[in-house]
Amino acid sequence: MQKKYYEEMSGKEKLRRSMNTLVSIVNRNVRNQYRNSVLGIVWTVLNPLLNMVVIALVFSMILNRNQMDGLFYPVYILSGNIVFGLMRNSTSGALPCMVNNYDLLSKTRLVHEIFPISNVLSAVVNFFFSMIALFVVMLFFLNKPGVGFHFTILLTIAPFLPLLMLFSLGVSFILSTIYIRFRDIQHIYSVVLTLWMYLTPLFYSLDMIKGHQTATSILKLNPMYHYVTYFRTILMGSIPSLAEHLIMLAWGAGTCLVGFLFFHFSKKKFLLYI
Amino acid sequence: MDEQIITKTLPDHNPETLVEVKDVSMRFRLPTQKIDNVKEFFIKFVKRQLKYKDFWVLKHISFHVNRGESVGILGRNGAGKSTLLKLISGIIDPTEGSIHVRGSIVPLLKLGAGFDGNATGRENIFLNGAMLGFSKKEMQAKYDSIVKFAELEEFMDVPLKNYSQGMIARLGFSIAVDVKPDLLIVDEVLGVGDAAFRDKCAKKIAEMQQAGTTLLLVSHSASQVQALCKSALWIKNGEIAMYADAATVSNAYAADCKKNP
Repeated sequence: MQKKYYEEMSGKEKLRRSMNTLVSIVNRNVRNQYRNSVLGIVWTVLNPLLNMVVIALVFSMILNRNQMDGLFYPVYILSGNIVFGLMRNSTSGALPCMVNNYDLLSKTRLVHEIFPISNVLSAVVNFFFSMIALFVVMLFFLNKPGVGFHFTILLTIAPFLPLLMLFSLGVSFILSTIYIRFRDIQHIYSVVLTLWMYLTPLFYSLDMIKGHQTATSILKLNPMYHYVTYFRTILMGSIPSLAEHLIMLAWGAGTCLVGFLFFHFSKKKFLLYI
Repeated sequence: MDEQIITKTLPDHNPETLVEVKDVSMRFRLPTQKIDNVKEFFIKFVKRQLKYKDFWVLKHISFHVNRGESVGILGRNGAGKSTLLKLISGIIDPTEGSIHVRGSIVPLLKLGAGFDGNATGRENIFLNGAMLGFSKKEMQAKYDSIVKFAELEEFMDVPLKNYSQGMIARLGFSIAVDVKPDLLIVDEVLGVGDAAFRDKCAKKIAEMQQAGTTLLLVSHSASQVQALCKSALWIKNGEIAMYADAATVSNAYAADCKKNP
């Protein structure tokens, strides 16, 4: 006769199971993007690469510049775009995730947080594929100004990526919660994203609007400005200041905390409103 | 240690009790009209027109199920059966009261929840297994027996969207029952598949019962409840109308259905 009773699974077992679920959902998300295509997994690198080439070509022609902030212009654009893209992909993917997975939420005992987290992780996987594309471009233009492979690029793994992930996750938590009650947020957010993209120096630089004091200070309030600039700095081989690290940490941890609390306290009502 | 925790949460605990439902009530707030955009919400909010209608799905439900026992749950549509199962599964929390389950639970509320139509049968087995928390390695070990039980060997490389409803249900059931839970919760999912597969499912459940699994079964088939369960619980308008042996309850329920159609 077994004489051991337990309330529930142990916390460790629960975590292990949630991790299994998470890995599998991310795997499915990444695979589903290019299912039934001839090139399959190759698209994960090819798609960002081709997109980058188009953007770089167009903006190089319009602005007619060879370099910006000391970095070869196409690489300047590409590096900004993949950082912004990570945030954009995770948040706009996570926005409808609670509603889309209603079946799983209402019929199984999954931890709710899994869905926003899986979207952020899927975007991170895509980010790494985009990094490959970026490296291909950089190899091609090794003799151009500012282009080179420096050991500082390793700072991408930490602290850069974890902090950007925290920030994206926080935004995802908030958006996916709001979407349950107000479907309007989808349309509002797509406009916000466009505005946000132009408020982030992706294809221009802060130097270009140096005379404009208010504009500069507004841009510096944008967290994505700091993430994008940080990434470019380590790409060019220097280590950003401590202040930059702290700003990124504050945005990442702060947003994630606020988002998590918002998500957590709305969680109980989720199923009643979807 | 374990004993202590339980005595704390459950003063009058009986070691044989697996599920303890204590004075549980569940309220749904139904907005009188559905508001799902901000503009309307603010207009109504400012005008103080946000009206809700409280709807008590379950009212003061108390019962317990012992280890190894099987209970069928009967009741009309909308009586609160599924809500009760969701509460016991821990998917939603009760508005009032408390529920304790001591052991592992496998809720079978919908077969193939989380299946991906674009993925093949094989991928879906691993995906669905992952939803239950199993790693790829653990699923590899179960894979053969799952496919064999579902009798879908030939269709493993076909995308799920090309499966029939019955095939999807068979696959879902096979994945879900390939575990040994303390408590199996089944919500009307056995009505799918052909007669042969239904028998197979019933047989599998009986087998699990033999191995010590406790069963909570919602079904509209009185014969199925009588075949699989020793006792039955009849829920009427959110309250327990009767909790006794399966034959008595299903007869009373059938009589009531005839009387008030």
